[in-house]
Amino acid sequence: MNLRSCISTIAIAACAAVGFTASANAWSLEEAAKPYAGTVVDVVFLKRPGYEAAEAMIPEFEKKTGIKINIIKHPYENALGEQVRDFVAGGDLDIALIDLVWIGNFAENGWVEPVSKFTSNPALKDPDLDMDDFFPLVLNAFGGWNGTIYGLPFDNYSGLMFYNKCMLKDAGFDGPPATWAELKDKYGPALTKDGKYAFALQSKRNETQSADSFARMLWPFGGSFLDKNFKSNLLSKESQTGLQFRQDLMKYMPKGIVAYDHSETVNALAQGDVAMITEWSAFYSTLKDPKTSKIGDCLAIAPEPKGPAGRKPALGGFSLAVATQADDNEKAASWLFIQWITSKAKAKEYVERGGVSARKSVYKDADIVKKYDFVPALVESWQEGVPEFRPRFAEWPEITEIVQEWGSKIMLGEVSVKDGAKELGDRMEAVLKKAGYYDGKKPLAK
Amino acid sequence: MMQALASHSRRGLVIQAILLIVIAIFCVFPFYWMVTTSLKTQVVALESPPVWLFEPTFSNYTEVLLKDGVGRTLINSLIVAVSTTLLAVLLGLPAAFALARFEFRGKKDLWFWFITNRMVSPIVLALPFFLIVRKMGLMDTHIVLILIYLTFNLPIVIWICTDQFRSIPFDLDEAAMLDGASQWRIFRSICLPLAMPGVAVSSIFSFIFSWNELMFALILTRSNAKTAPAMAVSFMEGYILPYGKIMATSTLIVIPVIIFALIASKQLVRGLTMGAVK
Amino acid sequence: MRGKVRRKTIFTFLGPAIFALAAVGIGPLLYAVWTSLHYFNLTKLRQVEFIGMENYGTVLTDSVFWQAMGRTFTLLLIALPLQIMIGLGIALLLHKPGNTFLRTLTRLTLVLPMATTYAVVGLLGQVMFNIKYGVVNQFLGFVGIEAVNWIGDPDNAFIAVIFWDVWQWTPFVALVMLAGFTTIPVEIEEAARLETKSWWTVLRHVQLPFLIPGLTAVLILRTADTLKLFDMVFTMTRGGPGSATEFISLMIQRVGFRGFDQGMASAQAVILLIITIVLSQIYIKVFYKEIK
Repeated sequence: MNLRSCISTIAIAACAAVGFTASANAWSLEEAAKPYAGTVVDVVFLKRPGYEAAEAMIPEFEKKTGIKINIIKHPYENALGEQVRDFVAGGDLDIALIDLVWIGNFAENGWVEPVSKFTSNPALKDPDLDMDDFFPLVLNAFGGWNGTIYGLPFDNYSGLMFYNKCMLKDAGFDGPPATWAELKDKYGPALTKDGKYAFALQSKRNETQSADSFARMLWPFGGSFLDKNFKSNLLSKESQTGLQFRQDLMKYMPKGIVAYDHSETVNALAQGDVAMITEWSAFYSTLKDPKTSKIGDCLAIAPEPKGPAGRKPALGGFSLAVATQADDNEKAASWLFIQWITSKAKAKEYVERGGVSARKSVYKDADIVKKYDFVPALVESWQEGVPEFRPRFAEWPEITEIVQEWGSKIMLGEVSVKDGAKELGDRMEAVLKKAGYYDGKKPLAK
Repeated sequence: MMQALASHSRRGLVIQAILLIVIAIFCVFPFYWMVTTSLKTQVVALESPPVWLFEPTFSNYTEVLLKDGVGRTLINSLIVAVSTTLLAVLLGLPAAFALARFEFRGKKDLWFWFITNRMVSPIVLALPFFLIVRKMGLMDTHIVLILIYLTFNLPIVIWICTDQFRSIPFDLDEAAMLDGASQWRIFRSICLPLAMPGVAVSSIFSFIFSWNELMFALILTRSNAKTAPAMAVSFMEGYILPYGKIMATSTLIVIPVIIFALIASKQLVRGLTMGAVK
Repeated sequence: MRGKVRRKTIFTFLGPAIFALAAVGIGPLLYAVWTSLHYFNLTKLRQVEFIGMENYGTVLTDSVFWQAMGRTFTLLLIALPLQIMIGLGIALLLHKPGNTFLRTLTRLTLVLPMATTYAVVGLLGQVMFNIKYGVVNQFLGFVGIEAVNWIGDPDNAFIAVIFWDVWQWTPFVALVMLAGFTTIPVEIEEAARLETKSWWTVLRHVQLPFLIPGLTAVLILRTADTLKLFDMVFTMTRGGPGSATEFISLMIQRVGFRGFDQGMASAQAVILLIITIVLSQIYIKVFYKEIK
């Protein structure tokens, strides 16, 4: 109760602030939205904390603008398929929800409008938009393609290490491991006992396998999916080291880790069955909430461990972009919504409701820093990071299927690390060949 | 053991009784578990080992019905299943009559073609059907599901009803023909009333298969025409698995159809002997 | 004059059904054949290009495709005999006089699994076979067996799929067999019983001939349904872990709607269709001849 009333006070304060700046600049959301009152905007949302946060905020937007936001909810695993089918069928989605690995696809198909189409229109552009306030890495990776910005970062993740500091302390550790090697060689043996495990790496055969498991072990060891000629780099010494490391680390993970998705992994930490996990920042609220987690004050957060090639935390997240298939009114209304929900002014409320904003300014806010102990780790992770953590080109949906299949086979020991990586690489190259990257039909995307 | 069963001894009866009870429990237990899980809160559902006694809550039901809109998907399922069943019967009955009564070239092949449709994996049709529907702008409409479900409902109706018509003595037709009745009249006034059991059985099968269908619904609907099974699947987000909500939705889907099946169980078993046991 | 009717009349009876089934069944199929001859990626509709038989070549030499096919038939070869054996046992039990009330009750409960939405069966599988919260492991715990990692282990996940397939379809087999038993004239059965005490002899020489039509139907329908199997596995394991439970329909769905390569998926679908038709032809030719 107390918390809630506190939040609403803050919300009111935030609104007041918006109102103030608005009048000062003679631009206001209410004014800008007037021509579009009654417009219905269709958008796909996921069933995740950041979306629940936004959903709770939407009534305010609807009240102010008269624009109706129609949310269609899908699980992540269906979200790409649903949207692709909507866009190729000329359906009714007005806003695209774009995972960073989908951006190449959406942009190259011309399904989404560049942001500049709206920012160049003074009637639609909030003078307070301040694109520079987004973490550049996040803005470019989530919303940008070939130098053009299409979407504004909305639901933002960085991989973080969540750990149970009580378990670590009992085993004689004062802090989390600084490197992956340390995690495996020191923490692993010490924390794996009595039915508990040191670490859990979500590896289910879906995007989780490629993003959270496979790629996470590739980059810190200096490996990568592709070399600069777009040929497979999975057989390089560095890539092989990383993949072999993942194999060795499985000793310290619960059995059946290949069936663990985020929910199982987060739950394993929440229930005290594992000591450390590397998960998306978005799970902070799940782990902190006593209704869903038993870990309580033992929860601590650090950036992901470093590898020989440095700290390369997992990077993922979604931007919202205006769909080209919408009509002009819907486009304008959609833009106003995207601009509003990702705005500086709403960032604090978004975070307090359980979302993770990509606004730099909000993490300088004293209240936020004090209340959310993931902030330093998050900010640090977004300073450096690999935007190409997973390649973002249009072929990713096909490639991720291959990575999921062969990555799982490697983990299960059905093929050796080397043979699996070779097969994976061959199949990946076949897809890229078909796409025309090798005969110069298509430039090597950055 | 079987030896003991064969004898009419008292021991045989006891063993039979025990085995029957075991079979019944085995069939019913998953439903029991589904319903009880649907009455658990998330915290209770995630107890390890699972608890058998707990304070039931209906919050999962209110939530899926009021917040997640499962009610509308159930209505969609109903609309689709009823319409496609009616359509299949309407189209299939005359065809079944013709296959049972008339002689013409290629009859066997035609029958075989009708029946083969029952064997075809939906994925074979789902892909091209999607592409066609996309071109016609009919994505996410009831009519698309109603039509595509004909691919498995029409064969069922034809299969079962052809058999049914064959079992009706020819003498009746011949008498009517001598009176100068047209084939349509014979079909409607003489054979159809006698074939009603077959019509009932094939309708029940059509309804159940359509109600339960997932793959087409998953690919051809998004929101407006989304059916209940497609909805149940959409709770499977990797982030949190709301077991209670999933099981509540499952219960809402399954209960109507199993009540329906129980009421019609006699006809169902008859249908198996008619359509299946050719 | 029996059966001789004017062409026009025949057509008015058959026309609508033929037309409807052709429209929803054959039309899409032809389109699938067309698609399968093209590079046709949903996310790259601007690059659609005729490539002849290339997709077929790729599919026919793709180990992943044939592994999925092999897995599908492995499932059939394990599950179907189990279903027939257990189903026959249940049918015998229900056919035997005595315990009338219990027999009626059990026969009623047998209807339940078959009518259950396949997708829900898979969801139930997730809940009941969960390594930690699952009731199956709790039961195993009662008899002193350590928790089994069902969904996360390739072999166990396959066993879980078999379990649910058997749970859902054994009742079907049992009811079909039972229906077969009821077609046996009582006198024949009783005469046989007077001659021999062995239930096996009775089954083999007297009852079995009456069961053959039912068994044939079971064989055809179960084969077709195994090739179609999608919903239950999709909701329980999604083909995992690894590819342990990726049966043929799941695999095609993945290629076509997750990898978006509709051309390739269409080629796979066409090959699956050919296999289905050939199998049904063989079944119907071989078994239906015997009945006559």
